[in-house]
Amino acid sequence: MRIVKLKQDRLNSFLEAVSTDSELWGPVKKGADKHRFKIVDNPAEFDLDYTRTILPPKKIFLPPRFNMFKAMPTAYEEETMDPTKKILFGVHPCDIHGILIMDQFYTQTYNDPYYIRSRENTIILGHSCWPDEHCLCHSTGTDVANEGYDLFFTALNDEYLVWIGSSKGDDLVRIVPELFNEDLSDRDIQNYIRWREDRSKAFKAEINFKAMPDFMELKYRDAVWENLSHACLACGSCSNVCPTCTCYNVNDKPRLSENASDIARCWDACTLESYSEVAGGENFRESRSERLKLYYTHKLQAFISKYGKPACVGCGRCAATCPVGINVKTVAGALDGEEVDAFWSRYATEVTK
Amino acid sequence: MNGTEKIINQVNPYKPEPARIVRAYDLTDDVRFFQVRFADMDLALSFKYEAGQFAMISVLGAGEAPFSISSTPSRPGLLEFCIRKTGVVTDAIFRLKENDFIGVRGPYGTGFPIEMMKGRDILFVMGGLGAAPLRSVLLYCLDDRDHFGRISVLHGAKRPAEMIFRDEFLHLKKRSDLDCYLSVDKDDTGEWTENTGVVTTLFPKVKTIVPENTAAVVCGPPIMYKFVINELIKLNIPKDQILMTLERRMKCGVGKCGHCAIDYIYTCIDGPVFTYWDVLHMRELI
Amino acid sequence: MNNGKPKIGIYELTGCAGDALLIVDCEMELLDIFTAADIQSFAMAKSDNIDGELDVALVEGSVTTEKEISELKDIRERAKIVVAFGNCAAHGGIQARFDDKEWQENLKKVYGNQKFTHTKPVRSKPIDEFVKVDFYLPGCPVSKEQFLHFLTRMLKGNPPEHYPTPVCVTCKYNENDCLLNNGKLCLGPLTADGCGSVCPNHNIPCFGCWGPVENANAIAELHLLKEKGFSVEEIKKRMANFAGTKLADAIKQL
Repeated sequence: MRIVKLKQDRLNSFLEAVSTDSELWGPVKKGADKHRFKIVDNPAEFDLDYTRTILPPKKIFLPPRFNMFKAMPTAYEEETMDPTKKILFGVHPCDIHGILIMDQFYTQTYNDPYYIRSRENTIILGHSCWPDEHCLCHSTGTDVANEGYDLFFTALNDEYLVWIGSSKGDDLVRIVPELFNEDLSDRDIQNYIRWREDRSKAFKAEINFKAMPDFMELKYRDAVWENLSHACLACGSCSNVCPTCTCYNVNDKPRLSENASDIARCWDACTLESYSEVAGGENFRESRSERLKLYYTHKLQAFISKYGKPACVGCGRCAATCPVGINVKTVAGALDGEEVDAFWSRYATEVTK
Repeated sequence: MNGTEKIINQVNPYKPEPARIVRAYDLTDDVRFFQVRFADMDLALSFKYEAGQFAMISVLGAGEAPFSISSTPSRPGLLEFCIRKTGVVTDAIFRLKENDFIGVRGPYGTGFPIEMMKGRDILFVMGGLGAAPLRSVLLYCLDDRDHFGRISVLHGAKRPAEMIFRDEFLHLKKRSDLDCYLSVDKDDTGEWTENTGVVTTLFPKVKTIVPENTAAVVCGPPIMYKFVINELIKLNIPKDQILMTLERRMKCGVGKCGHCAIDYIYTCIDGPVFTYWDVLHMRELI
Repeated sequence: MNNGKPKIGIYELTGCAGDALLIVDCEMELLDIFTAADIQSFAMAKSDNIDGELDVALVEGSVTTEKEISELKDIRERAKIVVAFGNCAAHGGIQARFDDKEWQENLKKVYGNQKFTHTKPVRSKPIDEFVKVDFYLPGCPVSKEQFLHFLTRMLKGNPPEHYPTPVCVTCKYNENDCLLNNGKLCLGPLTADGCGSVCPNHNIPCFGCWGPVENANAIAELHLLKEKGFSVEEIKKRMANFAGTKLADAIKQL
């Protein structure tokens, strides 16, 4: 792979130069200490000192709500699928892996044209990161991205090492070649290796993901599921913030003034009660524990047996989001027999008392 | 089209194709039969599907839902569905009349494993609306009669008026190349000349079964499965030769929306046809 | 003559009339609504109101007098479909937050020994305490989007699909940071969705004004809030505010 160098103070010039005909998206501060991917006019609005955004990049390819068709009595008109060219800057390795999983999911057996069209028009510019207490990507093997990006920026001192991951990425560099330096010194390489090692050591959270399919199988009827379900607020947030959750719902929204409907699609979550309800009102998963089992079967077992990797990229969003502490880390920990520090665990003790 | 097979919605699998309701009539109080034809004649003639597959039907203003196809692929041109009135979408379908339009997309899911069934004796066991998907594969077998061994059909309903395709099955009884046994739980007409009792009371009537050479095809209400499977196991029919079809909520039919997931099986693309052995391994169903 | 258009009546019991006002506020859609529906009765918007047979009755407000009980029963008899329109009708509203004893005390405090001649006051209750309700459209006031979706579906003969979700779903769509995690007394997980998470969008915790979402896990949230340092009294008060009689049993258990 071709690797070039860019002075960090030239980054914004680069982003401005390459985004003249595209929307420029990247991490922007939200509130005091949170972030979200947002479209900006000026790359100076980006805050690259971030760990994770509230929502993963999936929102850019498939927004939480959009219309798929205009349905009419004898015709179905495809709503214009978002063909806007986008540059998505500042994507961390875990999210790049999330995008790779979505790429696979939305093109297997049947294509999802809404995802594909939007994805094809998006350039991914990755960015290095430093783990916090929730980051699990070291355990999921997603702490480094070797594919799935057009360019990847690793910040070292006052420079970036820029990995060129695709022909499109190479084209971007060629727009303003004068900003880049082709010569990598031994010192640069040393710096990078040392940075990798230091970063590896900085991970605080670990999960034994390899054992999870077995745990899910052997502990399918374990009391842990009931314990989790007592506290679960069934708010659906764990799914909404997960980079690999893809479930959705569809609604026919008739228009008042004409004989036509908007066929609207929105994100759905298997932890919501109505998710498993069928026509006539019967519900296949009335209890919260059954719904949590489905969620974690998908994350920790099913995907692994189908694709050899968990449907978890270790981004830590569930850990940062669930108000009662139900997340990949505490669930996997509990399955592994650990004492878990989470509200759900304390509450379960209280309930059983 | 270049004379090649037109794959429905190759570009956008979510996009329905307009189809006209050609015939619609009541099968029972709450089940209606619909015969539909794609408005696009090329598509109507080239639409290929397998017995046991399903389609998504949409009604403008109401929404979309999955329905198993009741017609046989051996008779192309028209698609047939029997639909029970159970919710918003089906209520809307029931309000439609002949010549009205619906949206249809598909076919989706796995069909019955015809290649495995060929050469074997086939034992159909159906109850209630279970006849809807099984009619497709039964008619398919009859249209290709030479490729199958002895065909036996056990069809049960609560009352004579609730037997789906009652006349069609009474007619089948006259054929010499299959054994068709009908039963109702209760005869409230006084005119029922067939068996009375739950569908399992028909099992003793079935002629000799060579278990390893038999494929059982089962569909009916959840309560029926338990008892029917028991009988089939007693007959020593191998678990992976007992075929069943499952139903779930679905929003896409193509393995994306997630609603039909059971464990890590997607009913829409991994099913809806499963063997009993498959089903035994679905933890959520045990 | 109504040319086969669905006949609709909009009625107001005890409440602020904010839900009826919301309909009037649908300025861009009003002509379409009046074109598609035969509005038989709508006291806020028109004068020639008829009390006849109805396809759909939207009933706003809670029941607080005996007269309203008979009015409501009359509406039920005339209407094929009765909709609890707005939080007061669906859950009783803020005025339903008192139990019998508190209500008696308050009544005395305000009216003293005054005699009631016109009608007798009763403790505020949601309309489903008196008649069968076919659909609930909560909100304070109901949202324009939910109302128009509901109305359009009904006018075209298809009730909306039942899919209750809590405020958190939209709140996450809007990429808000969870206020519970920030130590705020937020009722999002317990509250029916529909407002567009308007309060959390502005960093204000959810007050629960849509009323409780079906099968809300109120007990777990109460414990969670307790752990975060809120007093049981404070939490109960917040929960009771808009949940009317609907969370009363759950709240008593707490």
